[in-house]
Amino acid sequence: MTHLSLNNISKQFSTNTVVQDFNLNVQKGEFVSFLGPSGCGKTTTLRMIAGFEIPSTGTVILDDENITEKAPNQRNVGMVFQAYALFPNMTVAQNIGFGLRIRREKKEAINQRVAEMLSLIHLDQKGDSYPYQLSGGQQQRVALARALAIHPQVLLLDEPLSALDAKIRVSLRAEIRAIQKKLGITAIYVTHDQEEALSISDRIVVMYEGKIEQVGSPFQIYNFPTTAFVASFVGTLNTTAAEVVDPTTHLLQIDGVQLQAAEGLDDRQKGDKVTIAIRPERLNFVSQERKANILDCTVENITFLGSVVRIQVSIGSNRFYMDTFNNPFLELPKIGDQDQVTCSREAVLVLRQ
Amino acid sequence: MKIRGKVWAWFLIILGVLYFFLPLLATFMFSLRARLGVLSFQSYINVFNDPKFVKSFSFSILWATLTIMVGILLFVPTAFWVRLKVPKARAAIEFITLIPFVVPVIVYTFGLVRTYSHPPLLIVNSPILIVAAYTILSMPYLYRAVDIGLRSIDVRTLTEAAQSLGAGWGTVLFKIIIPNIRVSILNGAFLSFAIVVGELVLAQYLVKPAFAPYMATLMQNRAYEPAALAVISFALTWACMGIISIIGRGSGQAQVGGGH
Repeated sequence: MTHLSLNNISKQFSTNTVVQDFNLNVQKGEFVSFLGPSGCGKTTTLRMIAGFEIPSTGTVILDDENITEKAPNQRNVGMVFQAYALFPNMTVAQNIGFGLRIRREKKEAINQRVAEMLSLIHLDQKGDSYPYQLSGGQQQRVALARALAIHPQVLLLDEPLSALDAKIRVSLRAEIRAIQKKLGITAIYVTHDQEEALSISDRIVVMYEGKIEQVGSPFQIYNFPTTAFVASFVGTLNTTAAEVVDPTTHLLQIDGVQLQAAEGLDDRQKGDKVTIAIRPERLNFVSQERKANILDCTVENITFLGSVVRIQVSIGSNRFYMDTFNNPFLELPKIGDQDQVTCSREAVLVLRQ
Repeated sequence: MKIRGKVWAWFLIILGVLYFFLPLLATFMFSLRARLGVLSFQSYINVFNDPKFVKSFSFSILWATLTIMVGILLFVPTAFWVRLKVPKARAAIEFITLIPFVVPVIVYTFGLVRTYSHPPLLIVNSPILIVAAYTILSMPYLYRAVDIGLRSIDVRTLTEAAQSLGAGWGTVLFKIIIPNIRVSILNGAFLSFAIVVGELVLAQYLVKPAFAPYMATLMQNRAYEPAALAVISFALTWACMGIISIIGRGSGQAQVGGGH
């Protein structure tokens, strides 16, 4: 059942169109991430759900109610901000109970809910502390508890981990996901960090220049990007121009070297120019595993990235990255070696223009 | 080289302190000489026993209090709104708040008298005009103090956070914004207080019983009492500043932290 529905949403600031033709249905309890670079319209879209911006066109439907023009304080939506936004003049407990006090709930009920929330974020002993006495990670957990305390219909998170250091980011995102699953609350999460989006979401909406590029599960977005932007934005990807040799057998040619894709050429003609993409981890040296596509290459560079070794090879005039697990017992090629690489037909993605 | 610099620094500090405190000390010593041959607080007793002092001082405190109340009601929401909704207008608003510095008070006073001393707006002697005039005079101090306070907090995000939790504009202003800029408001309020109590020209023409005209009249007729009044004024100002610093040390103003 659709819980939150964004229909034909667009937003203009004077002559600048920030969001256009945005359509999305979110199911109850789903965790959806808006992923994209700065200025792609993801935060503006989130702010339209929160009520801080009114769409120029389109509607926002929450639980079958049109809330498009409702004031932010009239919507039952919880929001977590990048800058924590805890009220400095209030203690942690007062911050968490703020929304309930606004709703004129009974004191006992407020105290009980605050205690529940403190326990949920594992800060039972910090109720009397002021925000400035907490670390960044703790402040953001309080902000999450404050947003959840009011039993919101949907939880909005606007780059909530951006201000935190890398280690806390990883642990807190797991905590956010665990809490969201435990409460079964619908969540919309804005981020420009692809790893964050891939690790936390049920579905990802990749945005670029105000438009949706692709909507799908993290698996779909990473493995089967449908546009050149998604392919380049999510993960590392080798992209290059290719020419269609035979659309029926999905045969392509790059710099005179032929390779075969599994699909994506049905509506193409012989001689058409297309863009293809191959993930670095889908390329292997021929000696390891023989596949359909065998391409002559020269090893140009080798970079250690910890658990992964990234090898740069040239195939004709194109340069490709190839990722292989760092195994200290396997001999790596040397720079300048002439070798052959291969990949499966499924690994060759023909991108939509 | 370092020692030389330090000596110079201390020399300049001592020079500054002497420049400030010597006249004050001299005034204080002079105020104690009301009785021939002995040091006493006679001039202070005379001042406090003078019914005109009590009357003029109470009126000045009343005008100052009303001015501060009107100023806060007017400038806090304005500064908040400008910062939140029309940040582009900030430069223009700042310029407007500086006008009382540019226009001489005597010109401003004559303008008010001329405009409001004949129908349809015959309000030259009404408390409304007095408070309004003092509010304008104190605007540079109060507005800027509030604006500096607002600069120290993330107004937009705090407002939006409160709204997302169900708060209306009144709650946002009174429960979130004002408590977090309390010290700045108090700073502006005490500065306004000092301006209103010590202002002479406007008080002379618009306000009949006021502290500054009383002091000016006293200076023409008495020797030691004006000195005592000057010391009292200083003590009052310092008391205000002391209160500001005590409140500032508390948890009133927003504290930013927790980046670790």
